[in-house]
Amino acid sequence: MSDYLVNGPVNPELITRQISFCDEKNDSGGISVFIGRVRADKTDSKTVVAIDYSAYEEMVNSVAASIKEDIMLEFSDVRSVKLFHSIGNVKAGEISLFVLVEAGHRRQAIDACSMTVELIKEKLPVWKRELYDNDSHEWKRQ
Amino acid sequence: MEIKVLFFGVLTEVTGCNVKYYANVSSVGDLRLRIQDDYPEIVHYNYMISLNQQLINGESALNNGDEVAFLPPFAGG
Repeated sequence: MSDYLVNGPVNPELITRQISFCDEKNDSGGISVFIGRVRADKTDSKTVVAIDYSAYEEMVNSVAASIKEDIMLEFSDVRSVKLFHSIGNVKAGEISLFVLVEAGHRRQAIDACSMTVELIKEKLPVWKRELYDNDSHEWKRQ
Repeated sequence: MEIKVLFFGVLTEVTGCNVKYYANVSSVGDLRLRIQDDYPEIVHYNYMISLNQQLINGESALNNGDEVAFLPPFAGG
């Protein structure tokens, strides 16, 4: 299993732990997080009940490491970048993505967190299949 | 020689498999043609190709043990 992938939903305890134990040197003035959840979208008289995520696990490792490198190069004030993405079944309302960025100051923490999420959407080899309440499913492109 | 081919996302349904092995293919173009012969419906889908976990554009030679993946547009998050 990749260091960046979590089986099933991202557990709130993982998030709490990551926030609690980051910045052990106490030199980060800003910590920005993004939490992505599965929406219960309603379309054509059906509702999303879960998303089944799959990934090219070996490639996720190299791409995620590359995203972190790109962020550190782009934002000189960023101390660290952490990201966790679900694979497998994640129910509506549960968390499928967690990103945490530490920086010396708020502006770069917020901007770097935002860019990390965009790079994940663009580059991380992950796919999602929406599962509906009428037992149908659909592969989503975004 | 043997090439390991991986399918992801919707392409697992198009091909009915996650992994397949091909022998005697010398290039990515050659492999694409073989796969289109086996799964004609795949031409209706958009996908990228990676060689040993690196995205590639265009043609590339293949060697024994290479891993080629057919990747629909990413949809993480």
